[in-house]
Amino acid sequence: MVISLNWLKEYISLEGISAEVISEKLTSAGLEVEKMTDQSAIYKGFVAAHVRECIKHPNADKLSLCKVWDGQNELSVVCGAPNVAVGQKVVLATIGTNIPGKDFIIKKSKIRGAESEGMLCSESELAISDNHEGIMVLGESAEPGSAISDLLGLNDVIFEIGITPNRPDALSHLGVARDLAAIFGREVKKPALKNLPASGDIHKLAAVEIADTQGCPRYTAKVVKNVTIGPSPEWLKNKIQSIGLRSINNVVDVTNFILHELGQPLHAFDLDTLAGNKIVVDKAGALKEFTTLDSNKRQMNPDILMINDGEKGIAIAGIMGGENSEVTAKTKNILLESAYFNPSVIRKGAKFLQMSSDASYRFERGTDPHMTPFAAERAAELIAEVAGGALIAGTIDIYPEKIEKKTTELPYSRIERILGFTIPKEKVIQILKSLEFVITDSTEEKLMLEIPTFRPDVEREIDVIEEVVRIFGYENIPDNLIVSYPVHNRVDQTEFDDQIKTALTGLGYFEAISLPMISEWESSLFGNPVKVKNPLTVEMEYLRTSLIPGMLQNIRRNIHAGEKTIRLFEIGNVMSRTGEGEVSWKNLHEETRCVLVLTGEAETKEWYRDDRKYDIFDLKGDLESLAAKFSIDSFTIDSYYSTEKNIFGSVTELKSRGQAIINGGSVRKDILRKFDIDQPVFCAEFTISSLAEAVKKREGFRHLPKFPKVFRDFAFILDSEVQFNELVAFVEKNQTPLLSSFRLFDVYEHKSLGEGKKSMAFSLEFYNENATLTDEIVDREFNSLIQKISKKFNAQLRGSN
Amino acid sequence: MKEKIEEIKKRAQDGMGKITDQKSLEDFRIAFLGRNGAVSGLFSELKNVPKEEKPAVGNQLNQLRDELNASFALMAEKYESSGDEPVARVDLSLPGRARLIGSRHLVTQTMDEIKAIFKRMGFSIYTGPEVESDYYNFEALNFPPNHPARDMQDTFFISDNFVLRTHTTPVQIRIMESGPPPVRAIMPGKVFRNEDINARSHCIFHQIDGIAVGDNITFMELKSTLLSFAKEFYGSNIKHRFRASFFPFTEPSAELDVTCFICCGKGCRMCKHSGWLEILGCGMVDPNVFKSVGYNPEEITGYAFGMGVERIGILKYGLPDIRLYFENDLRFLRQF
Ligand SMILES: [Zn+2]
Repeated sequence: MVISLNWLKEYISLEGISAEVISEKLTSAGLEVEKMTDQSAIYKGFVAAHVRECIKHPNADKLSLCKVWDGQNELSVVCGAPNVAVGQKVVLATIGTNIPGKDFIIKKSKIRGAESEGMLCSESELAISDNHEGIMVLGESAEPGSAISDLLGLNDVIFEIGITPNRPDALSHLGVARDLAAIFGREVKKPALKNLPASGDIHKLAAVEIADTQGCPRYTAKVVKNVTIGPSPEWLKNKIQSIGLRSINNVVDVTNFILHELGQPLHAFDLDTLAGNKIVVDKAGALKEFTTLDSNKRQMNPDILMINDGEKGIAIAGIMGGENSEVTAKTKNILLESAYFNPSVIRKGAKFLQMSSDASYRFERGTDPHMTPFAAERAAELIAEVAGGALIAGTIDIYPEKIEKKTTELPYSRIERILGFTIPKEKVIQILKSLEFVITDSTEEKLMLEIPTFRPDVEREIDVIEEVVRIFGYENIPDNLIVSYPVHNRVDQTEFDDQIKTALTGLGYFEAISLPMISEWESSLFGNPVKVKNPLTVEMEYLRTSLIPGMLQNIRRNIHAGEKTIRLFEIGNVMSRTGEGEVSWKNLHEETRCVLVLTGEAETKEWYRDDRKYDIFDLKGDLESLAAKFSIDSFTIDSYYSTEKNIFGSVTELKSRGQAIINGGSVRKDILRKFDIDQPVFCAEFTISSLAEAVKKREGFRHLPKFPKVFRDFAFILDSEVQFNELVAFVEKNQTPLLSSFRLFDVYEHKSLGEGKKSMAFSLEFYNENATLTDEIVDREFNSLIQKISKKFNAQLRGSN
Repeated sequence: MKEKIEEIKKRAQDGMGKITDQKSLEDFRIAFLGRNGAVSGLFSELKNVPKEEKPAVGNQLNQLRDELNASFALMAEKYESSGDEPVARVDLSLPGRARLIGSRHLVTQTMDEIKAIFKRMGFSIYTGPEVESDYYNFEALNFPPNHPARDMQDTFFISDNFVLRTHTTPVQIRIMESGPPPVRAIMPGKVFRNEDINARSHCIFHQIDGIAVGDNITFMELKSTLLSFAKEFYGSNIKHRFRASFFPFTEPSAELDVTCFICCGKGCRMCKHSGWLEILGCGMVDPNVFKSVGYNPEEITGYAFGMGVERIGILKYGLPDIRLYFENDLRFLRQF
């Protein structure tokens, strides 16, 4: 909201307080000054000057050479305006002045050979209007050399204030003045009625009926007859323009003036357009369509509150007037509406219509129900004054159920309890009185308060405490408390995620964070997705059911950016529907997952090695590393070619106690193609809680080996079909307690081994925790294993050591 | 035997003289001091020496071994000085065999830093669901239906009663519902706002909310705690501004600003020319919130706060575009 300092000063003396301090204090008290513009700084360098001489430029038809007196010197100025003439008082921009409407700085220059020591300015160059036809001519009385900012009243300071939704009372100059009065301990001078002479009787000219008293608890009307619609007088224009509004005409300007002075939105109807000279406030009902004064056709709904005349709708209550009843240049007689509408009714209507006006903005937040008569009467007087009309005696004020002032108690001890320090009682009382709280009773312990009706946000003792402390000043709250708290029962629900992140970054993965919303086709690859009712785009219509689509998008983007080797992981939530019908906790499932992806070069070519692309064994290896890092209980990793409809072509599963907890593999080519990826991608995904549950409990310390280990190797020639895991399973089954490790170290296929044959070499480790192993014992175990394998797999021992 | 010892001693002295490099040093060691070397051989012959001569011969042998070891050590120092130099010298300026370490996302790194500070202060860390009911996201937090306060947070709806949470504040309701006070916790997580995606705003971001509830928790404690957080996080020489604000779930409410560290308070684009950066919102927990979780607002008090995470990185590192956070471009990720 825009607030003019000059305007504020009509209601409060701010003498001795700088604009900076005002801005600081307002901000501290919750009226955040987002921007402050000091006009006198903008108009520095502009002075009134007297044109003493004016002749045609010898080298240019349209230019004049002028001699102007700035109160001290006579200056030569070249001027291009057709209206410049000897004897005028004009606006001179002196050397070094910044032209706000053009944003350039005046320099001493030569224009077609003639020296120019300044510029004579138009209104548009001063940025005070759009008028750029000729220079601005000042009144006779303008003293040469006097500052333009003073002459034109351009010495204002403009505050742009961000008003939070709880403070409708501050949406006006009077409201801001009230806060300043409380902050600086000064008085507010409220505007008063002038009690202008009035004639006739409003009740003979118009009638008001409220059919929907819930939507409109109060409706006040005034009538002014025989007005002349025309431009506003200077003072009113200045006020309206000072806060960045356009002056429209005298009547509209008055309603805008009252809105920004008192915060009460008004609407002026052309009384002669009202059928039956009647106002009826009611729900829109059957009305389907209504044309507002901006000439837009609005589609209505039955619950929108309308202002009707005897026959038809004439305004959308509290939101915008209708084209059919608006004040035009021909309007003679005016009915002024000053009403209090139910905030949530207006809000629903404005939301439905997707409209927001200065009026609806205030009604939605809550205006002052007690303000309507004064606002109507003050506006009527001003209209009679500026538009030359006849004020009609009497006010229509329909107020079926009086809105009572709220009351509350404020025990001083509560203030201290909440704040942690004491604000002196006198200070509390001064603040509350300034904010127009009425103290109906007081004791040593507490205050009984009546809350002003312009504060819909204040109801309870805590709300009053906030009022007291915000005016007292948050900067005055002590902040030297030592903050150390006893720690008991500390929980960290992000700890396990953090451990996974540490492990994966150690394995060379970078963490990604992707959008949780994905498209329909992406979500259709997995499960039953949850739909967003109001998505930003169709690409973001569903919540992810898996982290994989987001990762594939990350891969696509990176490959397109030239990054073809990618190791990424992400930990994030996925959601799915587990049942039909209305969304409820019962049919929603959300869980935290982790995904990891690999693609591109596993090893780059270096001086000491060849390059190598990622394959399924890299993924498998990383899963093994994770399983080892997290001590996954009895884990196995199975890999196989998928036969089912799965997104993985070859599958790798990490199982714990027989249950798959990590699913991964190479992503199928046809799926990669959909993501526009043409290199193999390996990927695994798991639910964090499943991994956490599979973590083996720490078993306590195991003693370090006391006796030496004995190592043996063997290599077999086997049929190519024999799989590594069959061999491992067989060895595990036939294992003696002394074999402590059995590790593949070579696989080799070559013609020389025979058709359909391969060689596999293993390294074995023997250990007895109770005694030193003798060669004899180890050899016995070793040879027995060789025989068993040879027999079982029809294997031929290629060598042993 | 004695002669043998003398002979070996002589041969060893000759051999010692022939050591010129690492290779001859090693040959010497194998020939005399190795497991199958001459000295070892003499020791194994000791068992054939008559019993009465054994001590004397043994002594002699020990002496020989010690002498040779000492001389060898001297030679070794000369020819084996670094011990690392291979026989054939290689170009040591070749690049090393590096292995890549990944990194946490910048958002995670920022959250880690914030979490660490609050953990030290005795706060727990809780998480909650991203799909929330209207009740947890709004109503229990004192956002009445059809209240303009709801406009402060543009919302994605799943249904009339379910939303994508607009803040992590609902987690505080869940914590308080799950047990009696005292509570002291922070709640990090992803939040959603139905806002167009452009360089300055996004439809998702991360937030860390916090709450402290107990017998004697005051506004003064809130200010002291959050200021000490701000000083630890942003540096102890920052200037701050603590000012009144509005959040439906706190009363009184406040915002904490620090001097813009980009322009040092002179005013720049990042601080919208105000010289201040808004870093967190906070306030005393509204009694209505306590009522909705069954706490008695007459008996306990508490404070709550919340801050955005992405903004911090934008300010600290001058990120020109918030979208960089969620595009997961490796050229971005590798920078942090
Ligand atoms: Zn700045």
